[in-house]
Order: sequence, then structure tokens, then C-alpha cells
Amino acid sequence: MTKILLPTLILGSLFFASCTSDEDNNPITVDPVDVNAPATYTFERDGSSTVSFDGQTTRILMATEILSKFTDFDNSTEVSIQNMFAHVEGANDFSNADLNASNKNVRSKVAASQDYFSTNATGSAQIKTTFDGFISSQINEVFPNRNTVAEPGVAGQIADGTKTRYVNTKGLEYNQAFAKGLLGALMTDQVLNNYLSEAVLDEADNRETNNNDVPEVNANFTTMEHKWDEAYGYVYGLSANAATPNVTIGEDDKFLNEYIGRVNEDADFNTIAKDIFEAFKLGRAAIVANNYEVRDAQAEIIRAKISEVIAIRGIYYLQQAKAKIEDGNQTEAFHALSEAYGFVYSLQFTRKPTTNSPYLSGTEVNNLTSQLLNDGANGFWTLTPATIDAVSESIAAKFSFTVVQAASLD
Amino acid sequence: MKYWKLLSVFAILLVIFACTSEDGGPGDNPPTGNDSFDRGAMLANWADNIIVPSFTSFESDAGTLKNATNLFVDAPSVQNLQQLRLLWEKSYVNFQNVAMFDIGKAEEIRFRDRLNIYPTSASKIEGFIANGNYNLELPSTIDAQGFPALDYMINGLGATDTEIVDYYTINANASAYKEYLKTLSETIAQLTTNVLEDWNNGYRDAFVANISSSASGSVDKLANDYIFYFEKSLRAGKVGIPAGVFSNEVLPQKVEAFYKKDISEKLLLESINACKRFFNGGNNGGESFKTYLDFLNTIKNGADLATIINTQFDVALSKANTLNADFTQQIATDNFQMLETYNELQRNVILLKVDMLQALDINVDYVDTDGD
Repeated sequence: MTKILLPTLILGSLFFASCTSDEDNNPITVDPVDVNAPATYTFERDGSSTVSFDGQTTRILMATEILSKFTDFDNSTEVSIQNMFAHVEGANDFSNADLNASNKNVRSKVAASQDYFSTNATGSAQIKTTFDGFISSQINEVFPNRNTVAEPGVAGQIADGTKTRYVNTKGLEYNQAFAKGLLGALMTDQVLNNYLSEAVLDEADNRETNNNDVPEVNANFTTMEHKWDEAYGYVYGLSANAATPNVTIGEDDKFLNEYIGRVNEDADFNTIAKDIFEAFKLGRAAIVANNYEVRDAQAEIIRAKISEVIAIRGIYYLQQAKAKIEDGNQTEAFHALSEAYGFVYSLQFTRKPTTNSPYLSGTEVNNLTSQLLNDGANGFWTLTPATIDAVSESIAAKFSFTVVQAASLD
Repeated sequence: MKYWKLLSVFAILLVIFACTSEDGGPGDNPPTGNDSFDRGAMLANWADNIIVPSFTSFESDAGTLKNATNLFVDAPSVQNLQQLRLLWEKSYVNFQNVAMFDIGKAEEIRFRDRLNIYPTSASKIEGFIANGNYNLELPSTIDAQGFPALDYMINGLGATDTEIVDYYTINANASAYKEYLKTLSETIAQLTTNVLEDWNNGYRDAFVANISSSASGSVDKLANDYIFYFEKSLRAGKVGIPAGVFSNEVLPQKVEAFYKKDISEKLLLESINACKRFFNGGNNGGESFKTYLDFLNTIKNGADLATIINTQFDVALSKANTLNADFTQQIATDNFQMLETYNELQRNVILLKVDMLQALDINVDYVDTDGD
């Protein structure tokens, strides 16, 4: 990693040097070590905050309400959920008037990052269709059987402790697949492969306006500052206090924030929430200081750490499920397996630092989810511990931690 | 959640402390599952002197409850309602003696969840009565059956006994109310019979023979079931949740026996006593967690662990004894006493779950879910 990064840093410095000297004939005045991050995620210009990520907060809220509709048996239809997913400004889709008034929606940002999908419209469309399918299958397969006890090949209810889960014919909960898949396809993809992308941060004259402190029209932030904050918003957009979000990390949403918090509870990874936040903060300070090497180094840290969160949590749920199956409680494993299914799916949106690729490709991910659902004739009903271990190992092999480390909170 | 973090820190500190004192302490045994303690004798004592007699006694009460229900349904009157209520209370109290044994058939049919999930959903019950279409085997109906649903049906429908009886006599849908009430009592009796018959027809021997010291062995499984019950159903369900330990405000609507009200304390005391009795191997003190710990000569902070645990049971019992019979009253007037009771129960959770399981070399087989 250091070996690969070093040349990048040197190259980056050269580029930067030539830029600045072209413009004002001054030597480089900014040294990486001179970028000082503030104690909290607080950035101001002329005494007012420059931090803004309303659009991300809106989309997280939309996703949260969409998810709640998956088991609202008395009120939801395929059309009503699909309308929320692909919301149109002014349509009365949500219970929250602000969301209804918004011109944003969730679906258009699914698999929509600059780096992965700007020249891959087919891939993007396929993934969007997968999410459409989770909605329609929930309505068409699970809703009619909501008062049926599920069996192999029969959708319906299963008991998970004192909770009731609703599964398809293979034991999969579509709402979990949707939620944990969206955590990758929306949040992770937008953060790692869009807003932290050099192509987005440095688009058009972003460096020039940022260097010269030129805010956007009717705003207090430069475009580059705002792009970075939009990445931040997908992680911390619902935080009780977004300037110090780690105080409530894990409690603020049901998507990335929650699982950064959960993974951070594992003794093997108990600095990951801090690492991610510090990188966001230092990277943002670097933008203010016009130091793009430091900025990009922080983006790489965020890419590595958020990718790890998805892999660790996926393996964690797989291994939780394995323990239940070995205990003889096959159906009690379905909830964890459904969460794992979504996390595994999300691995295709991770980002391996210094590359333009995920840790696992879409093809590799589809192979793993297929192994989980096609081990025997009836999906999770016939899934074996051996297959779960094989899938877990396939994931861990791409990262620098072990299945054992991810599997327990110790 | 923050509370849990604090607790785990506390638990970790305890573990560290226990470890360090074990290093040099004479008479301390290293934890091992391969000791020479007679696990088979303990399992036999559990099955023959505690579990099967408890289910036998409870099955009898459940049958009596069913008969009293039928009597009331055939002839609804204030007198028959009061008789039914007495038998409901008696069997609800006795249920506390079998609730922890979530193993075998009981686990398979979700016995505890189908008999005692509260708060019960009055709206769900009313919906079932109104449309007559329900299946109590569905997991989603656990909050519309069992003792809490009966509580609503015989204590919660009206302010006076006459008003309650009216639902079964002059109400336009009286026959549906009667039918649902009957179904509730019949279901409790049937599920209990299923569990007892399984113990009496082979499961007892399989249970006792499974002496393996592994996660699938009977000792490890029942130890986990017992501690899970003590931690989740007893400590949290009966005390912590209504007292607001896990929420921003108190939740008196979540007490056990919410509609009857004045027996919440009685149910709690019975369940603590049942747990203490099981720990000690029954009234006659056969092979048990206590004798197992004594056999291993488990010492904590210079004192005998089994004695510490028994003392803590007594502290919790005497604290619970000071509470109002009606927990909604206790929470309204002095919730601090509820929290104190919770604390004493929590102390025993740590002793059982951390110290005892470590000494017996048993792994905890459940984790706190992330709640979604």
C-alpha cells in the first residue's frame, strides 16, 4: 500500500507544483503535514457554515420509509412502493411532506456513481431492476402468504425469537435484501465511487474555484467542498449532531451509519469508526487548504474502511447463521442469512484503494449469492454450514482480516 | 445501548479480575469441561426431580384452567368469571416454574412465546374476534394468545365484572368472544400436554444421555436456556423494560399481567424462586449448578461462588418483596425501587453468565441482536 501510494503522492505533488507555478509563479507553500483537521466536522467561511448535505439526508429518510412499507401489509401495493422508490417531485408518496416536495429520489442514485457506472448504463439498469424486483416479489410472492407458516418452497412467516419474519419460498427476506443491498448500491457507491472520486471532486474548474475560494452561486461552499460533504452526508446525514457523529454512530440510521457502529463494537475493528471520521475530517480540511494530495489519501482510507465494514458485517451474519444451523435451528438462521445476502450483494460497490475496482466484481458477487440461494433445492432451508464457510472464506480472502476476526465481537 | 456498553465493560473487568485472581489463588480450579463431575446425574436430577414434575403440575393447572373456561363459556356469570380468574392466576403463577425450560419440544413449538408474550395486542385480539379468522400457530399471533391474552379477555374488557360478563352474554358478538376465550385456554392446555408427553415418551432419556460437554450437549444447552430466561424474560421482561431501563421513559403498559395488575410482583417472586430452586437442584438439593460449582471448588474474590450466587438470589428476592403487588403503581409512585430490583437481578446475571459459565467451561450461545 505504502509502496503504491508513494509514487502517487510524488506524481500528485509534481502536478500540483506545475499548476500553482503556472498560475502565480509561487513555490509550493502547502505541505501535507500542514493540513490541520479541526476537532469536529465544522467548517466555516465568513463566520457561517460551509457544510451542507440535505440531499443525502433526504434520500436516507426516503430509503427508511420505503423499507417500512415492505411489511405494511394493509397499505402497501407494488405501485405505492415503486412510486416511493422512483419518487417524482410533488407526488404524495411519503408520510413526510418535505420528502414529497423533494425533487430527489432513491432509485436514480442506485448504481449511479461516476467511476463505476457513467459508462456502464447496462450494469446500472440491471442493478436498478434487481431492486425493482425485490419490491415486486415482496408484493407478489410474500404478501399473499402473509398469514401462512413458511415451509420449504412456500413463502410466509417464520419465527425469529419473538419476532416474526416474512420470507420467500427460499427463506429470503426481501426487505433485508433490499436494505442491505441499498447500503451498497446507494450509499457506498455514491460515497466511494462518486463523491470521493477525483473525476467528481476535480470536475471542470472545481480546483480553480476552490483554490480561489469562489463559492457556488447562492451558497457558502465551493463545489469541491460540497461534493466532499455529500459523501459525508451518506454516512452521517441523520446523525444527532453531524459535527461529532461518532457520539451516536450506529444509532442514526439503518444503513451505513448503523453498520459502521456495529463493526466498531468488534474488538478487532474498534478504531474503524474513528478512522473513517478522521479521514473525512482531514480530507475536508485539506480541501480548505487546497492540498489535494492529502485529500485523495483520505479518500483512499475511507474507501478501504467502508469496504471493510461491508465485508466484515457480511461474514459476521453468515457465521451467526451457521451457528444457528449447527444448533439445529435452520429457520432461526434466515434473518441473518437475509442480511448477509444483502451485504454480499453490496460488495460489488466497494472500492479497492489505488484501483478503479471493487474488492469483488459483480460476477463474483452473483456467484456467491447464488451459492447461498442454490445449495440444495430450497435455498436457505437446505443451506449447509460448509457452503456458508466457503462463501465466508471467499470474501475474507480478498481482505486483510480473517473469518474468525469478523465472526465474533471479541 | 450505551447501558450495554457500560455493562460489557463491567463484565470484562470482572473477567479480568477473575482471571488474575485465579493465577495464584490456591484452591482455584482452572475451568474445564473435562472434569470428573457426574453430568449424567445432574441431568437426571434436573429431568426427574425438577423439569418433569414441574410440567406435570403445570399441565394439571392448565387442564383446570381449560375446564373453568368451558364452565364460564357455557354459563357466563360474575361468579364463574371470578372462579375462572382465580384459576387463571394460579396457573399463571405455576407457569413461572416451567418457563425457563425452553428445550426439546418446548423449543420446537415456541412454548414460552406462545404462552407469555406481553404486552398482548388488544387490537389484534379484537380483530380476530371480529372477523373470526385466525391461526394461533402463526408467529405473528404470539401477542394475541397465552396468559396475557386471557388477562385481557377476563380482566381488561370492562371496568367491572358485570361489564366484562356482558361481552360474553349481551354483546352482539358474544359467541365469538366465547369462542376465542375457549380457544386460548385450550391452546395453552394442548401445548403443555405436547411438551409433557414428549418428556414422558423418550425425550427424558435422550436429554439425560446427552452428557457431552459441547454446545449441543444437554448441560450446555439448558444452561444457556436458563441464563437466557433469567436475563431476558425475567430481569428485562418483568422488571427492566417496564421500569424504562432500555427506553427514554418508563413503560408501565409493559408489565406482566397488565390488566389484572395486582399480581405482577407475585409472578416475579415465583420466577426468581424457580430459578433459585433450579440452581440448587430442587427442593432436596440434588446434583445441580451449585454442586457442580462446589465440586470444582470455584472461588470468586476469596468466597465460594455458589454461595455468592445464592446470596444474590436472596438479595434480589428481598428487594422484589418490597415492591408494590401492582407494578404500574410501583412505577408511578417510586420507580427507583424497580430500578434497584433490576440492579440486583443484573448482578446475578453477571455471576451466572460470566463467572459460572466460565467455571463450567460453557460458551454463551446467544448474542444481543441489533434489533432490526
